[in-house]
Formats: sequence, structure tokens, C-alpha cells
Amino acid sequence: MNNKIIVLIILLTLVVVGSVFALTGEEIVRKADDMQIFDTSEATGEMRIKDRFGIKVSTFNSWSRGADESLIEFTSRAERGQKVLRTEDELYLYFPDAEEIIRMQGAMLRQSMLGSDVSYEDMTGGKDRVSQYDVELLGEETVSGHECYVLMMVANVRTVPYPKEKVWIDKETFLGWKAEYYTKSGRLLKEIEILKAKEFDGRLIATETRISDKMKTDTETIMILEDLKIDIPLEDDLFSLEELSW
Amino acid sequence: MKMHLAKTALKNISRHKVRSILSGTAIGISAMAIVALFSLIQGMSDDMAYNLKTYYTGEVRVKHVDYEINERYNPMHLTVDWESVNDALEQDESVDTYVPRITFPSIFYGSNYGAVGVGADFAREAEFQDLEGSLKAGRLPENGKNEMMMGATLARDLKLKLGDKVTVMSTTAARGTNAITLEIVGLFAFPVGSLNSKYFWVPLDRTQYFLRMEGSVQEVLIKLKEGVASKAAAPLIKEAVEARAGVEMDIRSWEELSTTYGMLKMAQMVYNFVAMFFFLLGSTVIINTTMMVIFERMREIGTLGALGMHGKELIRLFFLEGTFISMIGSAFGVAIGVALTLWLSKTGIDYTDAMSGMDFEMSSIVYPQLSVGRTAFVYFYSVIIASAATFIPSRHAAKIEPVEALRYV
Repeated sequence: MNNKIIVLIILLTLVVVGSVFALTGEEIVRKADDMQIFDTSEATGEMRIKDRFGIKVSTFNSWSRGADESLIEFTSRAERGQKVLRTEDELYLYFPDAEEIIRMQGAMLRQSMLGSDVSYEDMTGGKDRVSQYDVELLGEETVSGHECYVLMMVANVRTVPYPKEKVWIDKETFLGWKAEYYTKSGRLLKEIEILKAKEFDGRLIATETRISDKMKTDTETIMILEDLKIDIPLEDDLFSLEELSW
Repeated sequence: MKMHLAKTALKNISRHKVRSILSGTAIGISAMAIVALFSLIQGMSDDMAYNLKTYYTGEVRVKHVDYEINERYNPMHLTVDWESVNDALEQDESVDTYVPRITFPSIFYGSNYGAVGVGADFAREAEFQDLEGSLKAGRLPENGKNEMMMGATLARDLKLKLGDKVTVMSTTAARGTNAITLEIVGLFAFPVGSLNSKYFWVPLDRTQYFLRMEGSVQEVLIKLKEGVASKAAAPLIKEAVEARAGVEMDIRSWEELSTTYGMLKMAQMVYNFVAMFFFLLGSTVIINTTMMVIFERMREIGTLGALGMHGKELIRLFFLEGTFISMIGSAFGVAIGVALTLWLSKTGIDYTDAMSGMDFEMSSIVYPQLSVGRTAFVYFYSVIIASAATFIPSRHAAKIEPVEALRYV
């Protein structure tokens, strides 16, 4: 009798302790977002854009600071000198032959970046998704050999690019290995899958990502990051409009 | 006897003036309407042919072989090598002039207005079309400079003027995006409304640079020497250009390229049927009046029959009456139609409001064109149909027995 009571107490204790330490959906997403935010970063990379006419490669240099500031400068011949600047509130394009800097807004944001599967709008989403989405933990699944939490996120604000996201976040590293983006009515718009990841300072970071715009037929973009440097000193005005046109 | 019948027929026509005028007027109105309609269609057809050959396709057009099937994807990278096409065309005896062009969809930053750019070699264009005549203000853009000339209507709609600058965004041949700022140095007014409300023209070299098309163009428009048939010349040009360039190209005559023009040609055939119905409609008035004449002149018919006139002669008499009315009515109708057409061919018919917002290769002002052949055709056509229509009541007159006719006395 006493033994039964002891076993029961131990089981209850385990359940209580387990539930105390089990992560909620919000906590998982917050951890995933935190893993992708750096004080500063610098990288070179390339986009391999495949469409009905073949494969096109564009190369770029990129810099970022915190969650909201980033700059991409294209270095491939066809786009050399073109820049995309993201600040906390705005997205700007710089073209060497245009006398004005182009502020992307409204329908322009839905345009494809260099004909890829990435839209300018994709670059505007904040990295603090917990405040923008209601998160529901659906369960667990294995993606490319990685055990992941499966979460459904429904936007509670209108400023995000996609009203619904389904994400697969690694249970150990909190890297989002896969994501699907939907319309409010549940139509699949875009799919992102990480093909390769590399560890930097104890954090796993995607170095090769496949993005597929489901509104187009037979297209995909492979984004490859090379020479990634994290937490490096960057000039203060690197993410300013004045610097953009230099 | 025949002469006698003709005299009698003419006498009968003059005796019943009101009826004759009514019948003749119906035929005349039909003939006038058809002459005017045919002239308008001819004017539209000639106008569209000129616009297609000058602004859209040339008489023969050279393009990348896969461009048309991929057109909806805006395949700016499907170009032709200008140097090799130029080499081949320079040596072609059938070719008069030719121009390289790059037509590209774009967005004006700021207004977000979707406009169409045309990269053109203005020196060559001056030989190909009356560019100076179309220039309403300013000057033509110069090679090597970031300049454009803009449709006067487009400039008015966007509240732009000479000297203003516009940043244009477009998709490049590298399937990327690019933007360039261009100064408006000229305003043009082509005859086609949509060209003025949507298009702007840029020097070819700047367009090639902007769209990453160095050495390539999207299309080459060819005008042939006088008397050279485009349908026959196109395959020969294709052979010569492909042999020089070493690649297959889409080289076709303008008749094969334009669906709208094909539809207009089909419309001409349809209008021939419409004309026939018009005349038949006009002829019903003749049938009706002849029928009334026959009933009213029963006593006369009975007397003529009693005096020995045969059924065939009676048919001939009423048929001649109908024919004379048709001839006179048609002559008046055609004359009025010709006068109306000649007047309209000077003043033109202004479709500016009706055509606004329509992407159609027809000019805003259409000038009807009189065709002697078609006008003669309308005259004889109307006389034949209207005369034939009188057979129906005339045959009825022939069947009347003298005794029966005399009962109407």
C-alpha cells in the first residue's frame, strides 16, 4: 500500500515537473527568433533563381544590425551596385542610374526581388513574431532527420506579410527547418526549407535555404550564405539613406 | 416592242410619282448607307494597316523564335542579335528601311503608373516614319543621354512637362529589376490614341544599357520596297537573316501577325452580307409598291391582256418599272454616299472619346476612303437586287386572267 502511494507521488511529481518545464508555443517561437538575431552580421552570398527559362545566379554582400536593420548590395554583373536597405519602418531600393532612392510601399512590396521567389515584402517581417502572431503548438514531427516542434501561427496584426505560418522548429537548436506561409483562407503561398546549416558561436544558422513561391509554376530560389561573420564592428551610418547612395 | 415596253414603263413611273419616289428613296438610302459604310471600313482598314506597319510590326517583323509563346511572362531576355540581322537586311534587295526596337513594360516611380517604353534608334526611325511630324513639343532624345520623349496625353494625365524627370522601373534581360531616371525632352502625338496615353520613347543605346541588352534588340521592323508583297518577301528574308545569324527566328509578315487586322478583313466580308440585307430591306418597299400598283391597275392589266399582251410581256413591263426605279434610286443614293464620303475623308470622324482607354491599333480620327471599284459594285449590286425583287409581284400580274381583271372595273 505504501509502495503504491510512493509510486503515485513520484509519477505525479514527474508530471508536474514535466509540465512546468515543457515549453509553450510562444516560448518556442521566441527562442527561435532569439537564435536568429545578432548584434551585427556580415556575409557574402548568392541567389540561384530557377524559373521556366533556366537558372540565374545573383551574388551579394549583406550586413545586419539587430532585428530590424539590414543592407544588401548586389555584386553580380547584371545588378552590380543595386542595394536594398531595410530600416525599422521602411524598405528602400537604390539603383545606380536612378536619381532618387525608391521607397517600397503598398503593392510594390509584393514584387519579386530580382525575379526570385523572395518578395520585398518577405524582408519586412519583424523578428519578434510572438507579438505579431497567436501561436499554437500542434505537435512534433521529424524534418530532414531533425526532431521538430510543429507550430501554427495566426497573425493578430495586419502589418505582417503572411496571415498564417506553419513552422517546424528544431527541439534542440531552435532552428526553423521548414516553414509554410498561407493566406487567411489557408491557401499555400510560399514554402521555405533549410538545406544546410552551420554552427556559429554555439548557434545554428542557415547557410543554404530553398524558397519556393507557390503562386508561380516550376520556380525555386536557393539562397546561399558564405563567409558569415557575427558580432563584428560596423559603421554607425551603414544603414542610413545617406550611406545608401554612396 | 421592247422599246415600246420601256416607254410604257417610264410613263408609268412618271404617272405615279409619289409611289416611284418612295420606292426609289428606299433603294437610294440603302445604297447611300452602304457606300458610306464600305468607305468607312476601307478607311479603318487602310488606317490600321498603316499603323501596324509603322508602329507595331512593320511589313515584316523579326523577333526571337520563342518570344511570342512566352510573351505573357515578359521574356526580355529573348532577343535577337542586332549586328547579324542588320548585316543580312543591308544586303536584301527587297528591303527599303528597317528599325530596331525594344518595347518594355515599366512603372513610373512616384505615380506607380504602368507605362510602356520603346527603345529606338531615332536616326533610323526618321527614315521609317514621320517622327518629326509627330513631335508636338521639344526635341527628339539624343543617343547616350538619359532622355525620353513622352506621349502628350500621358504627360498631361501625369501632370508632367518638358524638363521634368521620371524614374522608370522595369525588368531587365537578366530577369532582374532596374531603375533609371530620364528627362522629358519631347512630347509626341501619334495618330493612335493608346500610343500617346501609354508610351514613352528612349534612345536605343540607353535602353540596351538600362535593360542589360548590350548588342541585342527585341525586334526589327522592316518596310519593303514599293511593289514587294510582304507575304512573299517574309520567307526569303527569314532565310537570309537566319543564314547570317545562325539561329532560327520568328520572321513573319504583318498580315500573319495581326489578329485585329484579320478581324477587320473578316468584318469586310460580313459587311457584304449586311449590304445585301440592306438592299433586300429596301427592296421590300419596291415589292410592296409594285404589288399595290398591280392591284390598283387591275383594269389596265385586264385591258392589256384582252388586247393580246402576253404574260411574259406583262412581267417585263413591271420588271422594267422596278429596274428603272432601282437605277434612279441607286444613282441618287450612291451619289449622296460619294459626296458624304468625300466630305468625311477631308474632315475625318473623331473617335477620340470612344477609343480612350482602348488598346487598339486604329487612329483616333478615321478618314473614310472611297473606292471606285466598291462604289460601282454597290451601284450594280443594289440595282440587281432591287430589280430581281420586282419579279415576285410581276409574276403575279402575269397570272391574272383578263376576265378576272375586268371584274375590278
